[in-house]
Amino acid sequence: MSTTTVMQERDVKKRTFMQKMFKIFGKTGTYTFLLIMALIILFPFYWMIISSLKTLPEYRQAIPTFWPNEVMWGNYSKAFTTANLGNLFLNTLYVGVVSTFASLIITVLSAFAFARLEFKGKEPLFGALLATMMIPGELFTITNYITVNQLGWMHSFTALIVPFLVSVFYIYLLRQNFMQIPNELYLAAKVDGTSDIKYLWRVMIPLALPTLISITILKMMGAWNSYIWPKLVANDEAHQMITNGLRNAFTDTTGQADYPVQMAAVAIVSAPLFLVFLCLRKYIMQGVSRSGIKG
Amino acid sequence: MKVVLENLTKIFPSRDKKSGKEVVAVNDFTFEIPDGQLVGLLGPSGCGKSTTLYMISGLQKPTSGKIYFGEDDVTELSTENRGIGLVFQNYALYPHMTVKQNILFPLQNLKGKDKLSKEEMLDRALNAARLVQIDELMDRKPSELSGGQQQRVAIARALVKMPRVLLLDEPLSNLDARLRLQTREEIRRIQKETGITTIFVTHDQEEAMSISDVIVVMKLGVVQQIGEPQSVYDDPKNLFVAKFLGTPPINVLEGKVVDGKVYIGDDDVLDVTGVDDQEVYIGIRPEGLEPNDNGRLTCGLSNIEVMGRDASVVATNAASANPVVRAIINSDIRIDTTSQTIKFNVKPHKFFLFNKQTEERVYFEVK
Amino acid sequence: MVESKQQWKAWLYLSPAILLLLVFTVWPIFNTLRMAFLDGYGNMAAMGGATFEFGIENFLKVIDYDKFLDCLKTTAILCVATVPVSTALALLIAVALNSIKPLQKTLQTIFFLPYVTNSIAIGMVFATMFNIVGYNPVERAADTWGIINLVIQFFGGEPISWINQGSSYTANIVVMIVYIVWNALPFKILILLGGLQSINKQYYDAAKVDGTRKARVLTRITIPLLSPMLAYVIITGFIGGFKEYSSIVGIFGEKMGPPDDAGRLNTMVGFVYDALEKDRQGLASAGALILFVIILLVTMFNNKVIKKHVHY
Repeated sequence: MSTTTVMQERDVKKRTFMQKMFKIFGKTGTYTFLLIMALIILFPFYWMIISSLKTLPEYRQAIPTFWPNEVMWGNYSKAFTTANLGNLFLNTLYVGVVSTFASLIITVLSAFAFARLEFKGKEPLFGALLATMMIPGELFTITNYITVNQLGWMHSFTALIVPFLVSVFYIYLLRQNFMQIPNELYLAAKVDGTSDIKYLWRVMIPLALPTLISITILKMMGAWNSYIWPKLVANDEAHQMITNGLRNAFTDTTGQADYPVQMAAVAIVSAPLFLVFLCLRKYIMQGVSRSGIKG
Repeated sequence: MKVVLENLTKIFPSRDKKSGKEVVAVNDFTFEIPDGQLVGLLGPSGCGKSTTLYMISGLQKPTSGKIYFGEDDVTELSTENRGIGLVFQNYALYPHMTVKQNILFPLQNLKGKDKLSKEEMLDRALNAARLVQIDELMDRKPSELSGGQQQRVAIARALVKMPRVLLLDEPLSNLDARLRLQTREEIRRIQKETGITTIFVTHDQEEAMSISDVIVVMKLGVVQQIGEPQSVYDDPKNLFVAKFLGTPPINVLEGKVVDGKVYIGDDDVLDVTGVDDQEVYIGIRPEGLEPNDNGRLTCGLSNIEVMGRDASVVATNAASANPVVRAIINSDIRIDTTSQTIKFNVKPHKFFLFNKQTEERVYFEVK
Repeated sequence: MVESKQQWKAWLYLSPAILLLLVFTVWPIFNTLRMAFLDGYGNMAAMGGATFEFGIENFLKVIDYDKFLDCLKTTAILCVATVPVSTALALLIAVALNSIKPLQKTLQTIFFLPYVTNSIAIGMVFATMFNIVGYNPVERAADTWGIINLVIQFFGGEPISWINQGSSYTANIVVMIVYIVWNALPFKILILLGGLQSINKQYYDAAKVDGTRKARVLTRITIPLLSPMLAYVIITGFIGGFKEYSSIVGIFGEKMGPPDDAGRLNTMVGFVYDALEKDRQGLASAGALILFVIILLVTMFNNKVIKKHVHY
């Protein structure tokens, strides 16, 4: 092989110029594409907010305005009372907090048992739990609807909370996390006479905190977005969840509805999740990418 | 293709914005690499040798200075237009392609008048594979190859487009000791066969010394010395170069020059001329110490390690900057191991003086 | 001693989880299977003392029911249309995001926003964007065609009735595709960007040294190295697509269709819940099992196709 190269004959200056132009075009193209996509993503939010601030006649104008002529903050208070949002918020918050708290306790205890304790049938049991993850939730819903009915839990918070307290996936996630903590720490704690609960609280929970925070956020988001199950078992006023209440209060998406008020309600319902997201961006994105749950 | 580096400098902005300290990775490097040579860039980690290599490759842009391939100024030219071959430290073989696809890949990228026919490509890929002796492995995936075989594939991939310059980043660091010895001979052979100007980076002085035509010793971004391996070893310009080259390392002792005599402690070990009186560091190669009952340097005797042909005398001296003073001698020479002390004479051409402040070499003549 | 102590302790810690799983996960598996194979099973009737024959009547009914086939059709169309589009778009966005430095974090946050929304609430926003807001009774024409139609008119197109009275099935489906893709992007971008960032940068340096053009880097290096992640988002995309329900409720309301054709856009899951609410649990169970089998088959098919192309 010789050093005669295929690229020896070249006009270095021309190449240098060309590659600079390509680079500028490439970067401009990339940013243009991203910004256009970002605008498309953001547009519904923008439309929601400006629509929520318009009067109904302005909203219906043939030539739409891109900023309300008259800012109608009143739409928000009207939305709040029409959909009884205060009540819905409290219901949802109650269900979210109680189920997250109870779910965390159950998950931590189970994950600890699977990660640290030795008992007969551990592996088969864990395998069986994982196998249930493959079955779509709709299959469980049918029987659970009957079960809840027979237990007399219809139209109660219990029906909204209890059936979803155990998530095999969260147990799995936390167990993996716990297993990374060296077993020697546990044995040392045993030698020192530390109780399991104290060890869990002082060593394992702090080390697994990011996972626990992710679980908390996903669980709260689940409560906020749940629609089907609450509709089936607790669609009465006293127990209604936010999504159901919103959908019920504004049944018409076409025709003669009061759209600005509807949009105001949607904005109010969307705001808490947005705020939580902006504060805990890192945990949420980490949690979602690790868990891979499409919720 | 000769490669010329002209006042090449690379400054990295500080990572931590508050302290605002810039890092000068390469400082004012000027060097002309003659056509067809094998050059080793040598130095401890952080000395700027890899940065220099990456600037030659075009993957990093110099802060200032120029790079020429032959007569072409390629400083502003991007990597793909430079016509170089680069072998990465971890080889960077595409894991989803077979060996054959990996080697063909650079050829398939050629376009316009450089475009090759399928047969030509296969032909050249096979030639490159034969050159590095992996033509039997063409249908394997990289994960099915040993470290040494992966290394060869990486070299073949770099060579297949007949680069003007071949660059190797720590080519042997991921190989075990036995393979390393074998592979470095291999690199030497391939380089001689192809005659491509080759530059490689290493922190292992033995590796650099054994195969390079020229070595460049670097420290903290500054070139310390350039030359043929043996001449750099025999004639180090400063204490750093003296210490960096050679295994076992050079003995360094504190001493002084007074009235034409070099003193280590109270022992005057050598008579010299042409040197002013001053405090010095004294470097003595292990093979430069000869045990002699009438020797002028007295050391405490610790023990003797016999290693076949050679023996290593481990001794101590209060003035030594190293933990021990080591001498490599023929194992036939008998040493009285019951003695507490041992005396040495020094070989003047294995004996260097360095200024205590600047650590630069102080030249002398033997009286 | 220690061993046996650990035994009972483990079961103690596990007891709440196991108890709940037995009631709400294990029992439903058996019971749903049982109900599916009891002809015409209904819970109210069962409690009233009715008995049911063992048989496959429920399945036959499900398949025979013409609306079920419509549901299957809608579900399949939505899947086949949205998964490739959202995956391709997400890939392009992720690659673009990965190649820039300034604004990367901000844009990443923006692209994630649809994930933290309530799919029903934002569905209502999409509905207003496509909605023809009101008819002018005097001129018998629409007052406002909605913002999307205005954009179409701006570019010289004809306005379309997307979701209103008299809208076509195709128009409805297009609206659903747009909304589902918008909704599916964040998750896919997140996973793919994570995958891109974990690819060793040296492969790109090597490609640069080899003079590889941008498009070729994408098809020959990025996509193969990203294939496990791509496979993951495609498979979860199909599974999610077959379970599509609440996004349609968001846009069309519980009528699951435009005002003059309720139920036109009903899906498999919607079918199951309809049957459940009508106390036809046997039918619902059979529907759910058929859905499960379809998802299983599609996933297996996907796996098979993907296995040929995925490099792990």
